[in-house]
Amino acid sequence: MKLLILIPAYNEAENIERVVNNLINNYPQYDYVIINDGSTDATRKICARNNYNLLDLPVNVGLSGAIKSGMRYANFYGYDYVLQLDGDGQHDPYFIQSMMNKMKQTNCDIVIGSRFKTVKKPFTSRMIGSQILTAAIWLTTGGKYIGDVTSGMRLFNKKMIKRFGYDMHYSPEPDTLAYLLNCGVRIEEVQVEMRDRIAGISYLNFKNSIWYMLKMLFSIFIFQWVRIRIKEEK
Amino acid sequence: MSLTLRILLALASIITVVWILRKIRKFKVKMEDAIFWTFFAIVLLLMAIFPEISFSLSSVLGFISPSNLVFLVIIFLLLEKIFTISIIVSQLEDKVSVLSAELALRSHSANKQIKEKAADEK
Repeated sequence: MKLLILIPAYNEAENIERVVNNLINNYPQYDYVIINDGSTDATRKICARNNYNLLDLPVNVGLSGAIKSGMRYANFYGYDYVLQLDGDGQHDPYFIQSMMNKMKQTNCDIVIGSRFKTVKKPFTSRMIGSQILTAAIWLTTGGKYIGDVTSGMRLFNKKMIKRFGYDMHYSPEPDTLAYLLNCGVRIEEVQVEMRDRIAGISYLNFKNSIWYMLKMLFSIFIFQWVRIRIKEEK
Repeated sequence: MSLTLRILLALASIITVVWILRKIRKFKVKMEDAIFWTFFAIVLLLMAIFPEISFSLSSVLGFISPSNLVFLVIIFLLLEKIFTISIIVSQLEDKVSVLSAELALRSHSANKQIKEKAADEK
């Protein structure tokens, strides 16, 4: 059984060294690959200087394109599991072990590192958005509950590696979770802690958030029913 | 606004919706585009079902005929679409040129490394 840690990085020059050095020094048992998504800052240089294992995309293709490249890398080199870990240092690799345990115990396809499995969601504007998406998924999948729909820390098994790497339009977003649940894919959550971003800025401002919510709700409530469902055998 | 125009609008709206849903079904279109065309179809359908909207709007704005307003709305929506498409095409063209440059550069550097290795071994 081989696990690959996938680190998508777009303009993470300030964070990437800390994140990857922590992995190399404290978790040498895991393989990792950094996907540099056409960064315009020094991300590539820093990775080359430190001799990190780097997949360097020449142009910016967005998060779902970066994940797709990473999934193909994992499939190419025969990995059985992929763990997605953000390049900004929000996620702690300490929780990988408990996520792996959960996957083996429950034999599920995706394990989400959730901030809200045992902890209650705080009442902020962003978390209200998150709760709306949770409710939308709950409504459209016949009562399946996912607390942390936007968590970027996820563990995928071989079947999901193939789906995300080779099928079109599998963005790592909540609407894909809803679609996958309706395909019979099993998703579990494990409580993790996340740090706030230490450096850099988040992509989500007010206008982007509204557009994001609109897209997700459209997709979950309307478009999801039209898509062909590629069922997962039980 | 004539009955013919209203029927045509309704037909166009239905065809748009059916067409975009088929594309979504086969994973052939991005969510953003699907949202635009659904919105477009809704606007057409509203104008077909409720001609009062275009009547009152055109009298407020001083148009000679409500159908002119209908055409104007459609032209605006399509203009917006063309505008965004043209921006996307420019960006794509740039990406292709960067891609080919990087590909050439990287295969050149790989070749160089192989040659240097061969020279070292001799």
